[in-house]
Amino acid sequence: MLLKTLSEAFGPTGFEDDVRNVIRGELDGRVDEMNTDVLGNLIAVKGAKKPGPKVMLDAHMDEVGLMIVQICDGGAESGLLKFRALGGIDPRVLVSKPVLIGPDRIPGVIGAKPVHLQAPEERQKPIPMDKLYIDIGAKDAADAKAVVKPGDAAVFATRYAEFGDRAAKGKSFDDRVGCALLVEAMQTEVPYPLYGAFTVQEEIGLRGARAAAYQIQPDIAIALEGTVCFDVVGAPSHGQSTVFGKGPALTVQDAQTIADRRFAEFMWETAKRHGIPVQWRRVKGGSNDFGAIHRVGKGIVGGSISVPVRYIHAPTQVVSLDDVENAGRLLRAVLQEIAEGSFTL
Amino acid sequence: MKEWIVRLAAEIAPSGSEGRITSVLLDAVQDIADETHMDALGNAIATKRGEGPHVMIAAHMDEPGVMVIDIDDDGFLRVIPTGGLTASEAAFRQVAFTNGTVGLVCLEDGEKRPEQFEQLFVDIGAKHRQEAESRAFIGLGGVLGTGVADIGNGRLLGRALDNRVGCAIALHAFRELAQLGRYVSVVFTAQNAPGARAAQAAAFALEPDLAIVVDGVPASDVPGGKRTALKLGAGPAFKVMDAGTVAPLSVKQLIEDAADALGLTLQYEVWPGGRSDTGAIQLTREGILAAGISYPVHTAGAAEALVDLADVEATLRLLVAAVQTFGQ
Amino acid sequence: MENHQPLLEQLMTTHAGPGFEGAVRDVIVPHLRSYAQAVQVDVMGNVVAQVAGCGEGRRPRVLLAAHMDEIALVVARIEAGGFLRVVQTGGFDPRTLVGQEVVVHARGGDLLAVVGSKPPHLTAPEERGKAAPLSDLYLDLAMPESAVRERVRIGDRVTLSRDVYLLRNRRLAGKSLDNRASIAILLETLHRLQQLIHQADVYAVATVQEEVGLRGAQTVGFAVQPDVAIAIDVTFGAFPGQAADESFALDAGPAISFGPNLHRKVFQRLVDVAERHRIPYQIELSQTPVGADANAFQVAGPGLAAALVGIPIRYMHTSVETGSYADIEQCARLLAHYIAELDMAQVEDLSCY
Repeated sequence: MLLKTLSEAFGPTGFEDDVRNVIRGELDGRVDEMNTDVLGNLIAVKGAKKPGPKVMLDAHMDEVGLMIVQICDGGAESGLLKFRALGGIDPRVLVSKPVLIGPDRIPGVIGAKPVHLQAPEERQKPIPMDKLYIDIGAKDAADAKAVVKPGDAAVFATRYAEFGDRAAKGKSFDDRVGCALLVEAMQTEVPYPLYGAFTVQEEIGLRGARAAAYQIQPDIAIALEGTVCFDVVGAPSHGQSTVFGKGPALTVQDAQTIADRRFAEFMWETAKRHGIPVQWRRVKGGSNDFGAIHRVGKGIVGGSISVPVRYIHAPTQVVSLDDVENAGRLLRAVLQEIAEGSFTL
Repeated sequence: MKEWIVRLAAEIAPSGSEGRITSVLLDAVQDIADETHMDALGNAIATKRGEGPHVMIAAHMDEPGVMVIDIDDDGFLRVIPTGGLTASEAAFRQVAFTNGTVGLVCLEDGEKRPEQFEQLFVDIGAKHRQEAESRAFIGLGGVLGTGVADIGNGRLLGRALDNRVGCAIALHAFRELAQLGRYVSVVFTAQNAPGARAAQAAAFALEPDLAIVVDGVPASDVPGGKRTALKLGAGPAFKVMDAGTVAPLSVKQLIEDAADALGLTLQYEVWPGGRSDTGAIQLTREGILAAGISYPVHTAGAAEALVDLADVEATLRLLVAAVQTFGQ
Repeated sequence: MENHQPLLEQLMTTHAGPGFEGAVRDVIVPHLRSYAQAVQVDVMGNVVAQVAGCGEGRRPRVLLAAHMDEIALVVARIEAGGFLRVVQTGGFDPRTLVGQEVVVHARGGDLLAVVGSKPPHLTAPEERGKAAPLSDLYLDLAMPESAVRERVRIGDRVTLSRDVYLLRNRRLAGKSLDNRASIAILLETLHRLQQLIHQADVYAVATVQEEVGLRGAQTVGFAVQPDVAIAIDVTFGAFPGQAADESFALDAGPAISFGPNLHRKVFQRLVDVAERHRIPYQIELSQTPVGADANAFQVAGPGLAAALVGIPIRYMHTSVETGSYADIEQCARLLAHYIAELDMAQVEDLSCY
């Protein structure tokens, strides 16, 4: 299953190779051409010569991860690894998590002093990242240096599985769910030029998408994303952002974008016409690639379609498979309605 | 000029919901412009071809406001800020939405002090969700504050004067320069309040030889005033620096020469807290010569402001003179 | 000329903050002209010097950039008594400014001033333990208010005043070694390139307004759109109390940066060149977009292959920034050999993932 493969692929920000290769394999022979640019964005193209609005779909390949910055030498630390975050990681989620490091996927664990040995006041506070180590089982620094070097990236070692009622758990649904949707969308036939941009470095500032949008210069752009879902115990309506299982979410405003109201309404009405559940994303925080895309060049019309993801940026994230499916349906419906001229530029 | 300011300030145009004022502004230049249009980000753009280098005049038309982000079962709304509005500025005030709905911004029971928008809700008098949904929707924009009051000594106060004053100046300058046969564009920019997001797209499209941005700047001739060295009523200010731009010396010289020719005393703006469209335009493409000319206001950035009409007139004269000086 | 150290010393006592780089530009342009076929100044004030490569057909295009601005202050208010309040363009540690001599660049000429703060005997006991913020400091021109108002205008720029001190082991200390050291590297690289055959067309650029947000780099990156854009900028010299991965030894060669927003093949090539030519080097890891012009280059226009190299200096953003000229020479060797070996096959490979 593509979502499982993508979820388990290794792609911390700046190290998206594994994800890119999975996508390239999936799309091989199914699009007119595929190119990588100098940043590492993978851009798939269909019908470049066709008339009509040039449409760019975007999903980012990268995920939040860690970078090994030091292999400790000497003393009690010898052979343990120091690390820093690649992208926004809440240090509170790190303790007691397994990780995979570098091109050889060396396993390691993030441990901490046992709770028994912590002073009462220590227990109250999250442990800051610079006080944590990754343990790969090395006997000493030389042993560790044989398999890991500073600069190696790491990801959480989370397996994909389906559980509960039409739900799946895994790492990095932000934004592998978008990648999966985009792979599927690139196989639909539309009468206008369709560009699929699988971008890099979203997690450190929407960087790949900006360059990709400049190269493509689309008339319409849609970012496919995973977004915050906090519809859990104790959360009031206005603090939930999205509700699990209630369909893909559309944005009116986030940290980087005030939505193009006309396009947002076009997508909303399209969902209604096609009987697809849809919801508004009800929070200001967070952002996605469209935040960079819409400001490129002379300005670009469009928006984003987001799949609610519980525990986004944590090692184990949860999505509703119905939401994923409905996001795909909505995307196909929007592409079809653009073809039918329902949205005028 | 005053009539235009009052008329423009009456429009409700929170960032990203500038639709209505866009039509008013473009209608006002339609007769003299060669072409007018609205771009993908909501900028309203008019161009008149003519002699000399191409000069772009810009003024943002948006204002800080709020946007509906949630409607609950009892018919209460939740809002988020668009632009730099804080919860304490919004609390306990009337909000007017772009669709005519009005409401009251309230603090949740039991909360002591408005610090975050999460503590606030908007009461539009609806009895339940259904009624609320008939008068408001998620994404609906609104603004705080009331209309313009004419104090009578050449000063005005009221909502959105920063930067409808700038729009009125830009509008008049464009008409005057177009009549003089200059090659000039005017851009009424959208989405300035959330961080100068739209101006760059217009500059990218127009590729002007010079851009002059008109905006308000806080004067510090008030109790406790320390932000700048500016005085209300002391004339226009040249923007030396703000959070988004440092002016090149060549641009400073241009504005100083224009002020000298008019016999105007120029003030100098150094305001690291501000972010005008000037910086965004300056960094477009290979770099664009960009100057900021500001009129002083009391309480810039907040929902309401107080301006001096003599400053406004002088800013207009300086702007026109600067364009005429450029390229000579 | 033996090397560019005397020029570096001259540059370190020349004043040029964000938006007023003219004085430094005037010093370096003649030197760039001695190496380049064409030298231009763009709208923002960036200097672009072109050195053509050899060979027919499409040649690699490489941009080497060092920012020429330094952190500076701007006069924001003139207080009663003629004391000046300032704001910053670039990040100062206000604690290092107290008692500092500065130069106010006024219309009628430069004026010397001393940075003052409230004296200890007027400071409340609870304040004494705290550092004064920049807004509490003032500039004392030691002249009457009327004279100050006559000479100084709001918006006048202010820079640090500091002689250059030649320390042991070819180390030198002073203001604005960040980033005049890299201007020296730029010129030393062009000097070494004259002895080498290179296919690449070189755009040697002195950028403006780096200290206020990499602004000159944004526009010059867009304008030139080279195949490879290398920023040269200083990094943190090792000093007690700093994290190991944020500390680089002086005299141990340039630091080559690695991270998500830098092109890994350019990085790898720089490392290979250093190894083959026995140039000492260090590796700096960045997890976020780097705080140097390379950050802006990567996302300029269609996106560029960006790299970052530079020498370590101690006491960054103070008036006693300290670095080693030996590192400057090693960094120049690295860049010259990298450029000499750059070919179109490498350029084409940059987009292969």
